[in-house]
Amino acid sequence: MKILVVDDSRVMRQIVIRTLRQSGYAGHDVVEAENGLQAVEMVATEKPDLVLSDWNMPEMSGIDALARLRASGSQVPFGFVTSEGSEEMRARAAAAGALFLIAKPFTPELFDEALSAVLPRA
Amino acid sequence: MKVHLPVAKEVRDLLSDLLGKSVSIEPAAPLAPGPKRPATIGVYVDDSLRIAALICFDLPLSAYAGAAIGLVPPKTAEDAVAQGTLPEVLRENLHEVLNIAVGLFNSTPGADHLRLHAMHPAGEPTPRDVLVHALTLGRRTDMRVDVPNYGAGVISVVQTF
Repeated sequence: MKILVVDDSRVMRQIVIRTLRQSGYAGHDVVEAENGLQAVEMVATEKPDLVLSDWNMPEMSGIDALARLRASGSQVPFGFVTSEGSEEMRARAAAAGALFLIAKPFTPELFDEALSAVLPRA
Repeated sequence: MKVHLPVAKEVRDLLSDLLGKSVSIEPAAPLAPGPKRPATIGVYVDDSLRIAALICFDLPLSAYAGAAIGLVPPKTAEDAVAQGTLPEVLRENLHEVLNIAVGLFNSTPGADHLRLHAMHPAGEPTPRDVLVHALTLGRRTDMRVDVPNYGAGVISVVQTF
């Protein structure tokens, strides 16, 4: 399985990848994008099985990237990992077709809870 | 206009989760940033772009938190403290710490929604108006934070109106 991690912060991409490992999802291929625009392009070229994306990013936000993916017919499983987890944002994420929203800071347990339905342990 | 001023436990829990280490916290004297006491200041604005709150990290905590979040060796943080300025990697990491720390304000139902507007890193000149806000007494909380394996420093959360 291949996971696309999208965040404009390098350290946050590292932390997401580390937390994937800590929550029992080591061994999957991980590719990285720095913003929503790059993520949309990489979904086409890399064909990931899951996208874990930040919300606020330069160039294109995570929610805009998700909208563009769905508009283009892509049904790639998509979840947010973001510093804002208000009910309003969770509702917007779900309406746009996201599977889950994990608020930062997160724990390996939170990751496992969100990912266990979509990703096999490697 | 209802900015949530976080209590010590909220700060401890957020930093512990974020840095992946059990940080300890105790009350501290108010942090007064200035030429002799360099500090990183994160400026948070509300939806009308008004400055609503600041989070200040003194130089040691800037270096230790910026290093701990990215598993940067403690030596890099110690060198930064000795030199009085933060290398690029610690600045970038600390920006993410301050970005996520917005949860301290936003996780309370009914509180004003804030976002990180700017970060002024320790060792660089701080705009005068930001410095004046940082020196405000009153609605603020000052804590000494000990980051295991790195060291201790002071964090101040200041409400600006």
